[in-house]
Amino acid sequence: MMVTPDNLLGSVVGVYLARAKDEEILKRKVASGGAVTAMLIYALEKGLIDGVVTAKRVSGFEGQAVVARTREEILETAGNKWSIVPFAARVKAKIEEEDLKKVAIVCLPCQAQFFGQMREFPILETDFGERIRYIVSLFCMGTFAFEAFLNYLRMKYDIKAEEIKNMALKEGFLEIQHDDSLLQLPLKEVYSYLQTGCLVCADYTGTWSDISAGFIEKEKGWTVIITRNARGEELVKGAEKEGYLEVRDGSQVMGDILRAAREKLARAQRNMMSLL
Amino acid sequence: MEKLRVLHVDIGGCEGCNVSIIRAYPKLMELIDLDITYLRDDGLKFDDYDVAIITGGVCMNEPSKIEKLKDIREKADVVIAFGSCATFGGILRFCRGGQEPRPDHRNFQPINAVISIDYSIPGCPPTHQMFQSFFKFFVSGNEARLRLFKVSANIKKLSGFDLLDDIVLTGLCIGCGACELSCPTGAIKLIDRRPTLVQERCIRCGTCYIRCPRASQLLSMGGERI
Repeated sequence: MMVTPDNLLGSVVGVYLARAKDEEILKRKVASGGAVTAMLIYALEKGLIDGVVTAKRVSGFEGQAVVARTREEILETAGNKWSIVPFAARVKAKIEEEDLKKVAIVCLPCQAQFFGQMREFPILETDFGERIRYIVSLFCMGTFAFEAFLNYLRMKYDIKAEEIKNMALKEGFLEIQHDDSLLQLPLKEVYSYLQTGCLVCADYTGTWSDISAGFIEKEKGWTVIITRNARGEELVKGAEKEGYLEVRDGSQVMGDILRAAREKLARAQRNMMSLL
Repeated sequence: MEKLRVLHVDIGGCEGCNVSIIRAYPKLMELIDLDITYLRDDGLKFDDYDVAIITGGVCMNEPSKIEKLKDIREKADVVIAFGSCATFGGILRFCRGGQEPRPDHRNFQPINAVISIDYSIPGCPPTHQMFQSFFKFFVSGNEARLRLFKVSANIKKLSGFDLLDDIVLTGLCIGCGACELSCPTGAIKLIDRRPTLVQERCIRCGTCYIRCPRASQLLSMGGERI
């Protein structure tokens, strides 16, 4: 049911490089090409969905589940969160509060697995899988045990959580922008502050989603998109046709995605042996 | 394509699972020929079956039920435990005897305590969509999607207690909240981003464990948990 070595990337229909055509989206703090934001705005404006449930950074690393129903609200949620957002129960409450019938959910691979399973195998009468139109999962190498990480930043670098303006991955480093200065932390140093549960996760791309999206170093400014079924494919093609998205073939980056996925799987297997 | 011959037998439950199966049937009529007590007068429709669905837990003080299970195992190619009582024991685990109308029954077990089964589908009760969905993947031979239910067939108990032991106490919990949302009795609450269990409320249905991204990953990757 989950990723296994013989099924590292799950089902793949198409691999693309895409970026938003809208300048305004690109100017925001999007992680790469802003393609996810553009696709969601397309789906919302064309009535394919009536809302997007995603996470919005509220302070420091902390994220909160929010519903975006307009272009402006989607734009406000763009950008990385770096911590897991206790999403599931909040998503249900949000969907019910706002009476959404067709939602898109933007989440991490583990959460995509949960929502995907719920949609395909509804165990509970209270499940809301039939309301989930699109599951978009973001490539993920893990989320922080953020209390510990923030404590580390405070103790070693004297950076307080509220001073952190932004964080980004740059070629082997995690760049932390705090007030006016920039701290570059090597990834090795950062790894130990990932959540233990993330260290045994073997799913890099989110195999249970309709669309997986992420970023790779050698294609800066572009979002890598993997479509996993007809539903995902239609969304990408529709957004391209309607002028929301610039799309090109992404097969040349498959090697990089596979490498990262393998790296995560190997890490999971190593850690699983020592933890269980 | 010929319809699958599917037998449903309830060996002691609250009827919730049976209602789910009956509700699911209209959408499956093209695919399966369901032999269920509600749709016939007496006896079994066929001599052998492609699939047998068993609901309810087995009372170990009742030899006739044990014989019935063994008989079904011989008659069917594939046996599926449907619902938490049949899969993991569920709330029947709490029977203490001395209860009307069957005061002597105090030991219920999941059916894999008596016979080998092929798939376990937990839930209290699982929805009718679950039943339909399972058959959709089963008929199309999509084993990857059914792997979790196949692995579950070898598990005799699964509950909030196991979730706490295996995932929370080992530090593997990522705090996503899937368990809290999945608990049908509200026994799980997230406190400081980690689940806690109100023990008295846990009916041992196993839904939280199956729904936890980390636990289901470990189950389907690691194989058996007995």
